[in-house]
Amino acid sequence: MMVYLSLVTSAAILLIGYVMAMSSKELVRLLISLELMFGAVFLALMPLFTIPDLTTSAFSIAVLTVFTSGGELMILIAAMVTFSKKFRSMSTDDIVAGGDSP
Amino acid sequence: MDTVSLAMVAMCCFAVLTAFAALFTKDTFYSALYMSATLVTIAGMFALNNVQPVFVLITFIFVGAIGAVTVALAAMYRDTRPKIQIDFVWFLPAIITFGAIFNAIFGLKNVPSAFSGSEVSAFVENYAVFALFFFTLAILLMLAVVKFVRREEV
Repeated sequence: MMVYLSLVTSAAILLIGYVMAMSSKELVRLLISLELMFGAVFLALMPLFTIPDLTTSAFSIAVLTVFTSGGELMILIAAMVTFSKKFRSMSTDDIVAGGDSP
Repeated sequence: MDTVSLAMVAMCCFAVLTAFAALFTKDTFYSALYMSATLVTIAGMFALNNVQPVFVLITFIFVGAIGAVTVALAAMYRDTRPKIQIDFVWFLPAIITFGAIFNAIFGLKNVPSAFSGSEVSAFVENYAVFALFFFTLAILLMLAVVKFVRREEV
């Protein structure tokens, strides 16, 4: 029951984060949606802790997930601050990539 | 249903509600606060099931560092315009993906679960190089971010 509940909640939060990312027109909101999705991923790890032989491995996976997602978000925050300084905007419409014209 | 299960149900409902609040609120500052509440509730679920090390990791590193910076950023670039403008092109893949996820989860409905505590000492003994690697990675990332922002300031 606990495993089922945590996974359903995880999927629901992932869906909410996904909808938020799709609808965001601003970088801060996009960052918030990413953090929500990472939160859903943390919650999806919970069933691993129900298997006694896997608790140490599960903890190492949790450390891996928290550190990598934290690092990724830190880089994203730095990029957002730089973007804001350069373009005086936080709108996703102002972001160009590759061969896009500004 | 025992007390732990009831608390778990309440926390799951609270996490989903705060996530919805983060989605629907117009103010980005409140959205960031609701997101932090969701993450703290998720961490609380781990603590409730006797997995305290993960609770500490999520609360201190994710909410305490990244979440706090996000709240500060949201306060700095506060925006209160309505933002729910979904691009419907993404709806079909989203429906297929989440349909598959919920279908897979439904099969786990009757799986029994009993949580056992996680030992940090066992982790450090078995994964010493792994722990050292992440400590180094965190320092390198922070140095890279500081250098990145400083270079743009010049």
